[in-house]
Amino acid sequence: MVGATASRNGWIVWLTFAIGLLLSVSPLPQFMEILRPLWLALLLAFWALALPQKVGMVTAWCLGLAEDVLYGTLLGQNALILTLITYLVLALQQRLRMFPMWQQSLVILVIFGLAQLVQLWLSALTGNRQPTLALVLPALVSALLWPWISFGLRGLRRRYKIN
Amino acid sequence: MRLLVLVVLSVALMVVDARFTLLKPVRSQMSLVLMQSYWITDLPQRLWQGVASQFGSRTELVAENEKLKTENLLLQGRMQKLAALTEQNVRLRELLNSSALVNEKVEVAELIGMDPNPFTHRIIINKGERDGVVLGQPVLDARGLMGQVVELMPYTSRVLLLTDTTHSIPVQVNRNGLRAIASGTGNPERLELRHVADTADIKEGDLLVSSGLGQRFPAGYPVATVKEVIHDSGQPFAIVRAVPTAALNRSRYLLLVFSDTRTPEERANDAAQAQESLDAQGGGPVIPATVPKPALVPSAVAAPATPAAATPAAPATTPPAATPVKPTATHPAAPKPPATAPAAAKPPAAQPAVVKPAAKPPVSAPATPGGRE
Repeated sequence: MVGATASRNGWIVWLTFAIGLLLSVSPLPQFMEILRPLWLALLLAFWALALPQKVGMVTAWCLGLAEDVLYGTLLGQNALILTLITYLVLALQQRLRMFPMWQQSLVILVIFGLAQLVQLWLSALTGNRQPTLALVLPALVSALLWPWISFGLRGLRRRYKIN
Repeated sequence: MRLLVLVVLSVALMVVDARFTLLKPVRSQMSLVLMQSYWITDLPQRLWQGVASQFGSRTELVAENEKLKTENLLLQGRMQKLAALTEQNVRLRELLNSSALVNEKVEVAELIGMDPNPFTHRIIINKGERDGVVLGQPVLDARGLMGQVVELMPYTSRVLLLTDTTHSIPVQVNRNGLRAIASGTGNPERLELRHVADTADIKEGDLLVSSGLGQRFPAGYPVATVKEVIHDSGQPFAIVRAVPTAALNRSRYLLLVFSDTRTPEERANDAAQAQESLDAQGGGPVIPATVPKPALVPSAVAAPATPAAATPAAPATTPPAATPVKPTATHPAAPKPPATAPAAAKPPAAQPAVVKPAAKPPVSAPATPGGRE
């Protein structure tokens, strides 16, 4: 499906993205809405680290568009955010791979925090004012989830020999 | 490099999407596939409900049935009174020469998703463009107004709730007609009335109904009840907080209001035309047929009584033909006499005739000579 490299079981990657999209709209109790992790960004970060030749900024952009349609935001808003996240992850790729898990989590926290900040600016531009600090909570929750996501997806990747 | 291209592309898309309607078809095509995910995430709840209703015990069902029956009876009782009141209302409006009520029709929609963004209050419902939903359409639940449709997709649409920070609705106090604007606060249990004078006659427990001034929401639907009024001498206006009457974050079944899309002028014109054709056919009473009729009454009563006066009213459509006899509906015992003696169909109309003469002669006088021959 993708490129000339012999790719195997690539559909599993797409399956995880589909599940990510579902998770990002799944209903949550009111108090947890504010903590909803950035599922798509987490998945993108992992796959961009694991399969950089396959999952890159273009993938991120397309998924972002899908998210825009789901959320009813301006087309391109989440696309921009996810592209930025993927770009930063790819730029820090060499270092991130060397880091122990907790340090990876910290980097993820910073990257997602920045992305949420951009998100805040964009939604302020489009007229939805939001309380500032609460917006960083999803980044925090995502960073806390990162080790689990990372282990889980790595196991998945080993098992199905995705590359 | 690739980053730059994508960023520029996204920004361009955002600008285009914000300013023009160019991307609407793209979005609606994408939503056709993507909106299924709301449906899928809603599936567990749906399944649970299905299972629960399958295994609900018989006694429970019987009890619920009883409850619904009594409720139905009560509502129908209230409905009877409502028919009479509606009629009276039209009559009084007629006297005042004010525009008539809007003809409204509702359809049930089901909530299939909440907006994932916790800072906006939007919901997704299972009726869309293909079901005839239009942009800006009001949405109700059983207790009051909920919001309006802000985004249309083929089979779903997005509804902005009253309590969203970007939403405001013109309301009036039901008790005395005082007008105000109720704005959302981002709290699902709270609306705020902006710029209400400190001396305004508004107090705790007042019911706020939509005033229909914004041309978007139909008038007269309950919106909120006033919870507290704070007079702070340091503030230029009173602080008025209200609680929405609709269960904004609990209702699963909603009502979409399909209102009359005609402008008031068109409506007046239509009413005038209907009336003219009526006058031409023998000077029936002059009530414009803009009020929804409870279907049971006119068909039963109108049939025997109309032959006398309004049989030639073929083009005039049934509603106007039904109106003349309507007053009799307020006296359930009355319909018999006129039915047996069609020639005497006028007497019941004598009640309105007490009301009519003031309004009627100028209109019917020029029209009748032409039509009566």
